[in-house]
Amino acid sequence: MKHLPKHLQPRWRYLAVALEAWPDADISRSDFQRAVWYAAGNLLGDPGSADADCRVLHFRFEDGTGEAVVRARRGEVGPARAALACVSEVDGHPVGLHVRGVSGTVRTCEERYLGRRAGVRVERRVVFENDRRRGYVRDGNVDVDGPDGFTGATELDLDSEST
Amino acid sequence: MYEAVHAHPDGAATAARVAATAARMGYDGVVIRARDAAPDYPAIREASGIDVVDAVEIAASDPEGASGAVGGLRPDHTLLSVRGGTDRLNRFAVEQERVDVLARPMAGDGDVNHVLANRAAANGVRIEFDFGPVLRSTGGERVRALRDLRKLREVVADAGAPFLVSANPASHLELRASRELVAVGEAVGFDPETVRAGLREWGELADRNRHRRSEAFVEPGVERGRYDG
Repeated sequence: MKHLPKHLQPRWRYLAVALEAWPDADISRSDFQRAVWYAAGNLLGDPGSADADCRVLHFRFEDGTGEAVVRARRGEVGPARAALACVSEVDGHPVGLHVRGVSGTVRTCEERYLGRRAGVRVERRVVFENDRRRGYVRDGNVDVDGPDGFTGATELDLDSEST
Repeated sequence: MYEAVHAHPDGAATAARVAATAARMGYDGVVIRARDAAPDYPAIREASGIDVVDAVEIAASDPEGASGAVGGLRPDHTLLSVRGGTDRLNRFAVEQERVDVLARPMAGDGDVNHVLANRAAANGVRIEFDFGPVLRSTGGERVRALRDLRKLREVVADAGAPFLVSANPASHLELRASRELVAVGEAVGFDPETVRAGLREWGELADRNRHRRSEAFVEPGVERGRYDG
């Protein structure tokens, strides 16, 4: 079909989203898109969800951290932000999520808010609460593996002999 | 704005990790609702660059147990909250001037009516709006949580009771930035300014209590210091 004249084309806003999860999480674009749609549908209902029209445009996720660009209709950024805040799990993996900023074009969105290279993740033995465990260290943050799953910590929480 | 979190071993991330994440999200401070956690507060303040408030959250099954804990823990912490969730516990918390916060009053079988809200207003006990179930549950559980939140909002507004807002995060992954909480609040019927005020209130409460615990403070209106007319 012939594309719409400019004044009838929808105006969009682009939300730069930072993602975080435990080191064992593996999240794909389609998993995240599904989680966003579910969250929007559950919080805003079908009409609200259709109005916000959240779509995941860019998505990158590796080693427990990632970023995404989520498109929302202009004027619906508030509801879209609320729906994103309600994404607490993606494909069974708990995720932390933070909207870094909102832009009028994908390009400014990426240039201004995304592409901050996270430091390299290093896996090493750490001593946490007098116990030798496996730790995933990045930028001073440490995810410590344990019998009851991971614990989020920082270098400050590690005992001295491991550093 | 401040957020009040559960830190390891009560939650899945240490106080230092949550503070680091909160600083990145733009919070001015975090309140650590410690029960078993005993973090090194000055070190975390320095590392994260934001305020870290030592608080304690009392989770007792009945008022008798909570009463003993309030007496024992009050002197050691800047901020003290009692976790509600039953009518007797809610009643107990709002009657105590020594209690700063009634947390999660609507959890479980708990309920708050106009009588309790008026007592909370009289005693200066902050009632918490818990956004946790709104953010992290679905289906019937969430519907019940939203219904309770609405009732609590109306009762608190009518009584003019002081209130707080928190997402009750138990790890750095459950933390959400203040703008996100405001957006969620708006989606479920809160006035944006109410949510902001509820998030700021944690910091104001901490400031007030720190001042009261300082050497110069004798009682409200009476302070030790130089008189400069």
